[in-house]
Amino acid sequence: MDFDIFSHLGLGFSVAFSPVNLGLCLIGALVGTLVGVLPGIGTIATVAMLLPITFGLPPVGALIMLAGIYYGAQYGGSTTSILVNIPGEAGSVVTALDGFQMAKQGRAGPALAIAAIGSFFAGCVATVLIAILGAPLTKLALAFGPAEYFSLMVLGLIFAVVLAKGSVLKAIAMIAFGVLLSMVGSDIETGASRMSFNIPELADGLGFATVAMGLFGFAEIIRNLDPGAAMDRDLVQQKISGLMPTKKDIKDSTPAILRGTVLGSILGILPGGGAVIASFAAYTFEKKISKHPERFGRGAIEGVAAPESANNAAAQTSFIPLLTLGIPPNAVMALMVGAMTIHGIVPGPQVMQKQPELVWGMIASMWIGNLMLLVINLPMVGIWVRLLRVPYRLLFPCIVVFCSIGIYSVNNAPMDVVLTAAFGLVGYWLVKHDFEPAPMLLGMVLGPLMEENLRRALLISRGDWSVFLTRPLSATLMAIAAFLLLLAVLPSLRKKRDEVFVESES
Amino acid sequence: MSEAPGSATENARGLIKGPQDFYGGLALVAIALFALWASSDLAGTRGFSFGPGTAPRMFAVLLLGLGAAVALSGFLQDGPPLQRFGIRGPFFVTLAILAFSVAIRPLGLIITSFVCFLIAAAGSDETKWKETVIVGICLTVGCALLFPYALGLPLDLFPRILR
Repeated sequence: MDFDIFSHLGLGFSVAFSPVNLGLCLIGALVGTLVGVLPGIGTIATVAMLLPITFGLPPVGALIMLAGIYYGAQYGGSTTSILVNIPGEAGSVVTALDGFQMAKQGRAGPALAIAAIGSFFAGCVATVLIAILGAPLTKLALAFGPAEYFSLMVLGLIFAVVLAKGSVLKAIAMIAFGVLLSMVGSDIETGASRMSFNIPELADGLGFATVAMGLFGFAEIIRNLDPGAAMDRDLVQQKISGLMPTKKDIKDSTPAILRGTVLGSILGILPGGGAVIASFAAYTFEKKISKHPERFGRGAIEGVAAPESANNAAAQTSFIPLLTLGIPPNAVMALMVGAMTIHGIVPGPQVMQKQPELVWGMIASMWIGNLMLLVINLPMVGIWVRLLRVPYRLLFPCIVVFCSIGIYSVNNAPMDVVLTAAFGLVGYWLVKHDFEPAPMLLGMVLGPLMEENLRRALLISRGDWSVFLTRPLSATLMAIAAFLLLLAVLPSLRKKRDEVFVESES
Repeated sequence: MSEAPGSATENARGLIKGPQDFYGGLALVAIALFALWASSDLAGTRGFSFGPGTAPRMFAVLLLGLGAAVALSGFLQDGPPLQRFGIRGPFFVTLAILAFSVAIRPLGLIITSFVCFLIAAAGSDETKWKETVIVGICLTVGCALLFPYALGLPLDLFPRILR
């Protein structure tokens, strides 16, 4: 068992250390940071926008690059929250609280350094955790029949809804909307054309990249153009002098990094906004146990170290459910599934057994990617800062052009570009009505899997719906799902859940 | 969607307590009804096995119910008013993307990306045209080098007539 881990990781590193893959990892991390640093563009939007450029690569390289983009984008997000007080994504909201204060006091350097070091440490721990948990979970997954799989997906979606921000009802409605969208196109079993209105471009279904780019990319651009959305950019003007944290900084932040890593690793495995919850939870926890809680919000280094480590640990461990069970726990992982499917890989336990070099190569490259971020990005902070000064009015038309080219190049189909524009407007409308687009994307990715397993389960049980409740494993999963849902709707817990988000945002 | 913001705030005090959820839910109901209609020609369940239309109708009904519940909660519970929709931004960005989709095949990458850039730039009221044109030219040159050469995408650079 233990030797397995080493041989697996060994295989992984031999794949990841090939010059091509190292290069792709580096490019991914750099481009991810580059786009992630741009204000107003979050992690999901970054990954969605850059998805098309990986389509031409071989599967392993494409996934390694995407993973690199993901970390890069996260790192970029924390850079903007520290330097400009504009969190690029929900996960770095709490980093901005103390990070920006530190930057104002002229300590942007140490804040960035601690964020990077914490992220790297968390990444190392999470990588090992994935390697350890991967194999046993895969074995468990192989015992799953269609009924169990269906129940597991229901549980995953419910988890995602309960842990996410905002109304539970609206989030479930978004999932149903996403599942419905996934059904456009040919039926898997009969080949009948469904809801495609004889439009040839719809016969294959709605492209995943199309929907993601529209909902997250274009919608975000449009929203940033709204009157009143103009971001006040009080960029820290002082020169960033000295990256090195002092001895006291290191002493203060070491325990915070350790606690953040543990919390993040656990929360990341759970479906839902893993990384977001993790950073909120880590920050709140640090503040609670601190001897001087009044320092938080005024530039306490623990307030940067803990959420950043938690954020990164969770980002990595959220690969566990994806790689072992084939179930994406959040929107970014849903994008990874989309990328895998385009390369003809169906994520899940089979991949781990049939294509170990793919899975382990990716896991190893996560660690390398984190190292690269640490080594390359800290010296490059100056460049990122200059990028932050580019005004939005010049930035957004460039993004529009890049995204259009990207989406067109996937299939060389102008219709895809039109659909993306349409989904951009849909996404804008959703945001205006306070509907979260992330569960919708999750529903869209899980839709075909759910339908297939539901059909199979009912075929095997000869049309008996009780199969989901009579098979013990499936019944357990369903019971947990029902319990969670009940908890989320109960007023007392709901209040607490809202409080967590409110406290961390104000 | 096109509800005037003025009347929306009045609505908030009137009959409909949470207009944002109310109209949002109604729109979901409309989408669900549309999906039901669109999948009505598909075969349903035969024996134990799902037909192609079973699952779409199942989830359409689910969405119908959830949308109605969201609308109902918006009707009964106090909620935020409708948010103001921007017009200039969405209009020009969408127009730019549509222009791209129409122009890319016949006109090639260079003309298309420059035109697309300029149309999109019109979406912001902060745009200064001199710098926009300069940046647009730089971007076009960058795209012409980056996509076909560096990334190896099969994109035509020039209009079809010149080829």
